Amino acid sequence: MDGVPRSDNSGHPLQVIDGDRPLDWERVYRENVTSIYRLLFYKVGNQPDAEDLTSQVFLDALPRLRASASGGEIHMYLVATARTVLAGHWRRRLGVQVTTINENLAMHESEAPLTDPLPRIRRILAKLPPNYRRVLELRFLERCSVRETAAKMGISAGNARVVQYRALQRAAELGREVAG
Amino acid sequence: MSRRSRRISRWVDDLLHDRSPRRLRGAEEDADVLAAAIALRSASPDAGLPDPHFIESLRQRVARETQGVVAPAPRMSRRSLLATGGLAAATAAAGVVVGERFATTSTPQLRLVPDAGSWVGVADVADLPEGSAMPFDTGAVRGFIVNRGGQIAALSGICTHLGCLLQLNPGARRLDCPCHSAAFAFDGSVLFKHMPESLPALPQLSSRIRDGRIEVLTV
Repeated sequence: MDGVPRSDNSGHPLQVIDGDRPLDWERVYRENVTSIYRLLFYKVGNQPDAEDLTSQVFLDALPRLRASASGGEIHMYLVATARTVLAGHWRRRLGVQVTTINENLAMHESEAPLTDPLPRIRRILAKLPPNYRRVLELRFLERCSVRETAAKMGISAGNARVVQYRALQRAAELGREVAG
Repeated sequence: MSRRSRRISRWVDDLLHDRSPRRLRGAEEDADVLAAAIALRSASPDAGLPDPHFIESLRQRVARETQGVVAPAPRMSRRSLLATGGLAAATAAAGVVVGERFATTSTPQLRLVPDAGSWVGVADVADLPEGSAMPFDTGAVRGFIVNRGGQIAALSGICTHLGCLLQLNPGARRLDCPCHSAAFAFDGSVLFKHMPESLPALPQLSSRIRDGRIEVLTV
């Protein structure tokens, strides 16, 4: 935006169309910040990155929003911005798109991550061999360190890391098979 | 395998301790593994709930950097542009620099929007040359309209400290508070103050140009 021109070629000041109004950014922010944060958290898995990306989304998108846009349009624009911001994050961080936000995410689907992801994770865990399931439960659900996990499983720390790695590989395969 | 599993385990440790994970060599081979770790991390009971302090601090940052911006349609049509928030539009164009400047005032610039406001003509555009400001008084609201580089905006004329009426200082191009030696720039930001407490920026009012008149949304 290079500025607001004051007049057109006729020399008359530009006119405001009746009904033009400022964007109610507070409302837009209030209504969307939690869902965008959670959407991004589920794609990066940690608070600092989720906060950083959420900030980028709102600072990028808000100046571009039209006041006349509907709530649904605004939400989808924010989701689209989140998609771009997330892609840039992974490109810079690891050079590979670890997670993405679905191109065809409909509005109600973008809220889907807000529902409890645990049932789907439980379904995946239930299909894993017992030692794989155990290592992931200890690490991710009970938040044990590698050493604590190894002690509880009666194996070495090095072994626990290898089992964890293989369990994650298998979980990834199952994740593709288990419908979300 | 053991080196690979060690690296992945450190990456998982970062996730579990809510740290931004470090870079990972050869990540492309294990993208699925990392995605599975993220999905598992997201299943924790505490996962995905934003910190209220973050929500508030981002709200303030958004206010500083984009507050009051009325984004134009993708292409500005000749008959449809607004002076509403023109100054804010300028601050948005200035981006981070202005944001940091407002940051020094420690509070965001608010927008004064009356519940049952109407557009009130306060001056002719021709009477407000670039770089100038002019007081207005609608009975309910006293303020200033300012022209910064062709951007018209309206500001409250009440000091945000204790409510004294600001005075236009045209030579210094600022709005002075006669009570406690503070001054505001024509964009509403605090130029200087001598009180220890933080001083919010001046609230901005919606303004527009119509038939050669500057109008302010007020009561």
